[in-house]
Amino acid sequence: MIDTYSRHRPLALLAIVVVAQVMLLAFQIKGEHDVRLIRYWAVALVTPLERAGTWSFSKVGGAWGGYVGLRNARAENDRMRIELDQLRLRNRELESQAAEGQRLSTVLNFRNAHPEASMLAAQVIGSSADPTSHTLFINRGEHDRLRMNMGVVTPDGIVGKIVEVLPNTAQVLLINDKDSGVGALFSATRTHGVVRGSGDPEPRMEYVVNDEKVQTGDAIATSGEDRIFPKDFPIGTVESAKPGNPFQVIRVQPSARLDRLEEVLVLLSQQEVVFKKPEAPATAAAGAPAAEAAHGGAAPAKAAPANSSAAPQ
Amino acid sequence: MAYMLNVGERSDPNVEVHKFYGGAVLAVCLLALVFQAFLHKYGRWSELIDLPLLVTIYFGVSRRNPVTGLFLGGTIGILQDALSHDNPIGMYGIAKTIIGYLASSIGGRIDTEHPLSRFALVFFFFHFHQIILAITQRVLLNHSAPLFTLRLLLDSLVTAAFAVPLFALLDRLRRPS
Repeated sequence: MIDTYSRHRPLALLAIVVVAQVMLLAFQIKGEHDVRLIRYWAVALVTPLERAGTWSFSKVGGAWGGYVGLRNARAENDRMRIELDQLRLRNRELESQAAEGQRLSTVLNFRNAHPEASMLAAQVIGSSADPTSHTLFINRGEHDRLRMNMGVVTPDGIVGKIVEVLPNTAQVLLINDKDSGVGALFSATRTHGVVRGSGDPEPRMEYVVNDEKVQTGDAIATSGEDRIFPKDFPIGTVESAKPGNPFQVIRVQPSARLDRLEEVLVLLSQQEVVFKKPEAPATAAAGAPAAEAAHGGAAPAKAAPANSSAAPQ
Repeated sequence: MAYMLNVGERSDPNVEVHKFYGGAVLAVCLLALVFQAFLHKYGRWSELIDLPLLVTIYFGVSRRNPVTGLFLGGTIGILQDALSHDNPIGMYGIAKTIIGYLASSIGGRIDTEHPLSRFALVFFFFHFHQIILAITQRVLLNHSAPLFTLRLLLDSLVTAAFAVPLFALLDRLRRPS
């Protein structure tokens, strides 16, 4: 009997433990009681460990996350810096292309607006190595039917004339070079003179008598008498004017931006081109001298200003 | 028939019984419960593995004493119930009491050291545990609980696969015989 009990003792214990738990379950379900004490003990037993685990996890996780995050941030920073450099470069390239497109568009519009004038677009490829010489080189030459003394303009105003033609390039003498001279007149009063280079960035309008009323900002255009530029094409505006002996000293601000030219138009024919004429009083030209300018430092060939007895030099 | 299941008999005195360092069993059981509750916060993947069940099986087959096994399983199960907050006390308790008893009884009769046998043992006990739980829920709680689903199959495979390295790790806590 004792042997039987000891042999089946584990099984009996199993039955007792299981039945006890079944009764516990039944007690909880039937009476809707909760065994708070057991839960309380279990939670009290486990919670400190869970709290320690959470603390350790958060510390280790935080440190690890910070380390990995820092490493990733550094790598990402490097990558983004490279990307930023590339984008900056690309942006500059696009800006340059956009500016070039705009410039070419302006040139094209100008050319389309004057179909009667035979023009050839050219790109500025260099300038003079001599700082006192205001010349530049364009990428068109003899093969493109370019000849000496052809006018070079931009939509803003005149630039200069061709003084040297090579097979594929040509040298342009700018209007502010000291050897340059352009037949000019005041758009408003039609008073003639000659715009000559002085070696400074701003050329001067010469042969204008002291009695002539000249104000800052007055527009100056080509007179067409030099047979290089068409009549009434913008040259610039008066920057300053003061009395001189025997003529006024008038500094001219060129309309074309001579210091940053990139695309220009070469006037292939010297035939008269009718450009947009600014509104001017009809009587303004009365009594105005007809000054003809020739490039290369030539003085007006025909007449001196009416109010001046001195011949232009 | 050395490998036949004979749950009613005492362990063979010639069978090697593994002993553990002091406090190791208690610490591992507690850690299993803590991890089970703790990892739950970090995602549902922890639901795939029933750590308290694995610990019950491991110590059951290692100690090879059905009385110890059933009490250990019962205690772990009741604590698991107590920590689950919505289970009535005894649901896991009953299941793990029976598993602890069976694992202890089997431990002395079959090879439980080989990884493959451990995998098979855990796979089998997982489903048996689930069946007891389902029956308890259906009969005592009047809840509909599945006896077998594909999800349970996946869970059992994951748990069994996880058990192999875990048991190898726990083997290090054994005292040299």
